[in-house]
Amino acid sequence: MASAGSGDEKAAAAAMITLISSDNEKFEVTEATATLSQTIRHMIEDGCTDGGVPLPNVTSKILARVIEYCKKHATAAAGEEGSSSSFSDAAFLEVDRAFLEELEEFDDAFLEVDRATLFDLILAANYLDIKGLLNLTCQKVADSVKGKTPEQIREMYNIVNDLTPEEEAEIRRETQWAFE
Amino acid sequence: MAPPRRPPPLIDDAIAEILVRLPPHEPEHLFRAALVCKPWLRVLCDPGFRRRYRAFHGAPPLLGLLHRRQVVEGPPAARFASTTKMPDFPFPGRSDRLGRARPLDCRHGRVLVHMLRERNRDYLVWDPITGDRHDLPAPDIDWFIYTAAVFCAAHGCDHLDCHGGPFRVVFVATDDREEIVKATVYSSETGVWTAPVALDDSCECYARHMRDVLADGHHYMPYVQPRRGAVVGDEVYFTLRRGNEIINYNLREDSLSMINPPSHTAHEIALMVMDDSSLGFACIECCSLYLWSMKVNSKGAAEWVQRRVIKLEAIKPAVEPVREASVVGSAEGVGVIFISTDAGLFTVDLKSEKVRKVDEPEVYFSVLPYMSFYTPGIVLALACLFLSFIFFTSAVCLLNVMVLVCE
Repeated sequence: MASAGSGDEKAAAAAMITLISSDNEKFEVTEATATLSQTIRHMIEDGCTDGGVPLPNVTSKILARVIEYCKKHATAAAGEEGSSSSFSDAAFLEVDRAFLEELEEFDDAFLEVDRATLFDLILAANYLDIKGLLNLTCQKVADSVKGKTPEQIREMYNIVNDLTPEEEAEIRRETQWAFE
Repeated sequence: MAPPRRPPPLIDDAIAEILVRLPPHEPEHLFRAALVCKPWLRVLCDPGFRRRYRAFHGAPPLLGLLHRRQVVEGPPAARFASTTKMPDFPFPGRSDRLGRARPLDCRHGRVLVHMLRERNRDYLVWDPITGDRHDLPAPDIDWFIYTAAVFCAAHGCDHLDCHGGPFRVVFVATDDREEIVKATVYSSETGVWTAPVALDDSCECYARHMRDVLADGHHYMPYVQPRRGAVVGDEVYFTLRRGNEIINYNLREDSLSMINPPSHTAHEIALMVMDDSSLGFACIECCSLYLWSMKVNSKGAAEWVQRRVIKLEAIKPAVEPVREASVVGSAEGVGVIFISTDAGLFTVDLKSEKVRKVDEPEVYFSVLPYMSFYTPGIVLALACLFLSFIFFTSAVCLLNVMVLVCE
């Protein structure tokens, strides 16, 4: 797989970080992209990124998606910062709105994944502590759970029902109204 | 085609991140989630989850309604209506015609009730979620008509989810014999009411108001309205009949004063707490909802500033019929105004300007909104405890049987 961002001149000039997936694939990203992850930000601050950052909990397939998300959002953040000095207020608001709309479209398209990938992304976002990505993916699952029965939720997300019949009966008895 | 890959199991942290995003005003989703599997149940019953849930959502949602009426309108039905899918809450106290309890206020997760004709208790502060009950003696005021406010008194509390801490009750009444307004405060920490203080003509606004009424040749008696008050910092506000003059009890100074309301003609109004923590005043005039807030000007005097005018015809879905609409309350934190019409009781969300019907048509004077988070943690913690007890005892029995068999 090609190194993420290697063709970008600007990015090349910036400090680069190497991320290593669980299946040993290397991804080169800018510091701005990598530090959307609080976990990696702390590692950079502690100076433990020489020789690459091993991420044993994230596969290359998922890491590529996570980097795609971080690159887009890091660019948007940089764009917002840079635009404030060179535009009038009205023009700035216009650019701001355009940025937000573009980001929203990107996020919507980004979430068009199967449920297994969605859960993988949640686990990766949680491990790497990427607030925006965690919010996006968890909200998608929360919205999909709303209005569903426990059986439907288990079916959707491959969850084994390990409650004993006694436990199930007791909980249902206490909260019958929620199932009517 | 290969079957879709199965989603991997989630760790507890990730489960909590998902469940924390379920909406508090629809508590059924959390309760259904509790029945998915053991890890989900464990996450929901963890006390840390509730802390996270309220931090994530901010103000607690509207869960239920009680209401007060004017004396001439007769007591309302003995019902603590739910505004969510949950069943109605049990009505606090007796509900028969003669001894019907009279709810006076709901605030900070507590309900204040006047327990009419019950032995050994006069007033009750009740937490419907935890079931916590605190009996209060009667205040030392020979009241003719009264109102009261209950509120959390925990130091530094953000009032997002206060259960079980200290509280205060401010009781304001028209004294039956002296025909003046008096106030007294109960503290849950001391368990006693303070000596009543009175509103007298040392308050210039009140003196002028009294002079104006007496100049018209009328007998004057300040009549405290049975309307929910507003608590803004150390100030508690109620209203007087007929012009909705505002009575202010200051907790720090233990004193009563009066302020004039904004210019209005409506009889039905609501006092409220605005977003910027100022006192608000809401009423409907000429088919529009008016919102005022009280500001202190550069000379230190209080003045009313008109903040919003919302045309009722413009909000969707429309409040019908607009002609009969009146303001009967507000719910702080969630930013809604209660409007009563012949078609029912509605909330108007001040942010989205959206309307929702929350109850059937009734005679409403002052709505007491009950707001709290309702998560499976509190309800199911006991059930879980019970189940682990059964599990433990059956395990011990099994062990005994095994020991016997071995022997």
